[in-house]
Amino acid sequence: MTTTLTRPAVKAEQAPRQAVTAHRTFVGVMRGEWIKLLSLRSTWWVLGSTAGVMALIAIGVAASLDGLMANPMTAQGMGQLNGAALVSTGFQIGMVTIAVLGALVITGEYATGMARSTFAAVPTRVPVLAAKAIALVVLTTGVTIVGIGLSYLVTMSKLSQYDLVPALDSAETWRVFAGTAYCLVAAALFSLGIGALLRSTAATVTASLTVLLLLPSILGFINIHWVQTLVRYLPLPASQGFLPAGDPNQNLGSGLTATTGLLVIAAYAIVPLVCAAIVVRRRDA
Amino acid sequence: MIEAQSLTKRYGDKIAVDDISFTIPPGSVTGFLGPNGAGKSTTMRMIMGLDRPTHGSVTVNGKPYAKHLSPLSEVGALLDAKAVYPGRSARSHLRTMAATHGISTRRVDEVIDMTGLSTVATKRVGAFSPGMGQRLGIASAMLGDPRTLILDEPVNGLDPEGVLWVRHLVRQLAAEGRTVFLSSHLMSEMAQTADQLLVIGRGKILTAGPVQEVIDSVSSTSVRVRSPQAAELERLVSRPGVTVSSPEAGTIDLRGTTAEAIGEAAAAHGIVLHELSQQRASLEEAYVSLTQDSVEYRSDVAPTHVKEENS
Repeated sequence: MTTTLTRPAVKAEQAPRQAVTAHRTFVGVMRGEWIKLLSLRSTWWVLGSTAGVMALIAIGVAASLDGLMANPMTAQGMGQLNGAALVSTGFQIGMVTIAVLGALVITGEYATGMARSTFAAVPTRVPVLAAKAIALVVLTTGVTIVGIGLSYLVTMSKLSQYDLVPALDSAETWRVFAGTAYCLVAAALFSLGIGALLRSTAATVTASLTVLLLLPSILGFINIHWVQTLVRYLPLPASQGFLPAGDPNQNLGSGLTATTGLLVIAAYAIVPLVCAAIVVRRRDA
Repeated sequence: MIEAQSLTKRYGDKIAVDDISFTIPPGSVTGFLGPNGAGKSTTMRMIMGLDRPTHGSVTVNGKPYAKHLSPLSEVGALLDAKAVYPGRSARSHLRTMAATHGISTRRVDEVIDMTGLSTVATKRVGAFSPGMGQRLGIASAMLGDPRTLILDEPVNGLDPEGVLWVRHLVRQLAAEGRTVFLSSHLMSEMAQTADQLLVIGRGKILTAGPVQEVIDSVSSTSVRVRSPQAAELERLVSRPGVTVSSPEAGTIDLRGTTAEAIGEAAAAHGIVLHELSQQRASLEEAYVSLTQDSVEYRSDVAPTHVKEENS
């Protein structure tokens, strides 16, 4: 048979020497996830637009200050305005892009079949999910810092007219900024968890955005006691427990304490991820 | 070494792999042959720990795949050439895989060179031709220099030069003592590449063994004789176990005897022979007779039944 011609003169019994050193470690899995994220142009687009949108919203809110002040109906509320909250008010829209990123990080793998390559390299699977979560925390925190910094710079001149420039030596300012980052990170992790459970990009983005952004305003119209109680525990209203409203006329206040608010938001980040870890491990890839 | 024990996979009420057991030895190429939908890919996914067996178990190099500390050094797999993110370059794809095991970038470039992808390594994988996708799949399988290779339809989409390259590569890998397990639905491809065959149909092992044995077991060879005295010769050689058919006058096909026996009988009785030849069933014929009862998707009209309407 012709194939014997190409057979090199090596004994079949000889054990193959392993020239390539390879050890799977969690650090390695994390590096793999980093390369995945940074080697996709879409990651940069999502991150850039998140920071951009946050800055744009901040400009818009700052620009509307003149009108609010001129109107005697709204001018009274201006005294309670929090400059830091005003600067970071764009985070609600930033949630949209961040939630999309959180979803794509995992659903993109399922949609393309990359998940099979990934899970072949890391058959225990849960480290992949953990590495993705860590990468998302780092990226989201980074983009929040950039977004808030940008918003701070572009609104400075307008806010200074009303003495609303957030004081950088005030603990309150940093509390608001940190709270904003906390919400965005939670939104990213929530999406990641839902994405790992649902696997479909469209379903995940729809589900995440509905829960994160749409439900409070939709259910807000239903004046039934238990529905209103439910609304208080949705992510956006719950965040008002520790974030002062950037615009006092659009208060979603839930009446939750800061601690309860923080815990509720943490639950949104963690519960879907834990469920996902259990399901992803057992499911066929 | 791959060992499967009563491996079974059920999707709902459909059984994809039905209680199969086999051992794939190292140092040789084992072909996994079967029609589309026979359960080849499902079996391979179970070996790789991607699908959970409904029942039974399978180990690679002595352990379930997921229990290996460095899975990419144990098994390299080409399961689905398009198991890549289309927006990423070939090199980035390989780097993400390599990073999980701390495999050096040098090795990434090595497998890129080895698979002939150097000129397209920085291009988006989404723009790759099927053949290039296949090469990338083989590159990622080779990344960890694994002791066992599992290749699902490796030559699909490859040009003739690529097909030769894959054949050469798997022969060489087996000669180095590695276990090579590759699937195909093409008997002719398997016959040129594999040492032994595992034939599967409808989730069950139909037969297994060295390539030639498998072929011989399903296709008894026949001897064709052309002679003006065919009828006389037929009478001379006929005995229990010998079957004779006559495709046309003066020509007979005999099964259950040998060309030598017929030739000697003809010489002894002074019978003139115009032809005496061994008819070996083609590989494809052997394959069809093996799997004809287990083909999942079959066209209603078999090609042999098509009448020539225009003649």
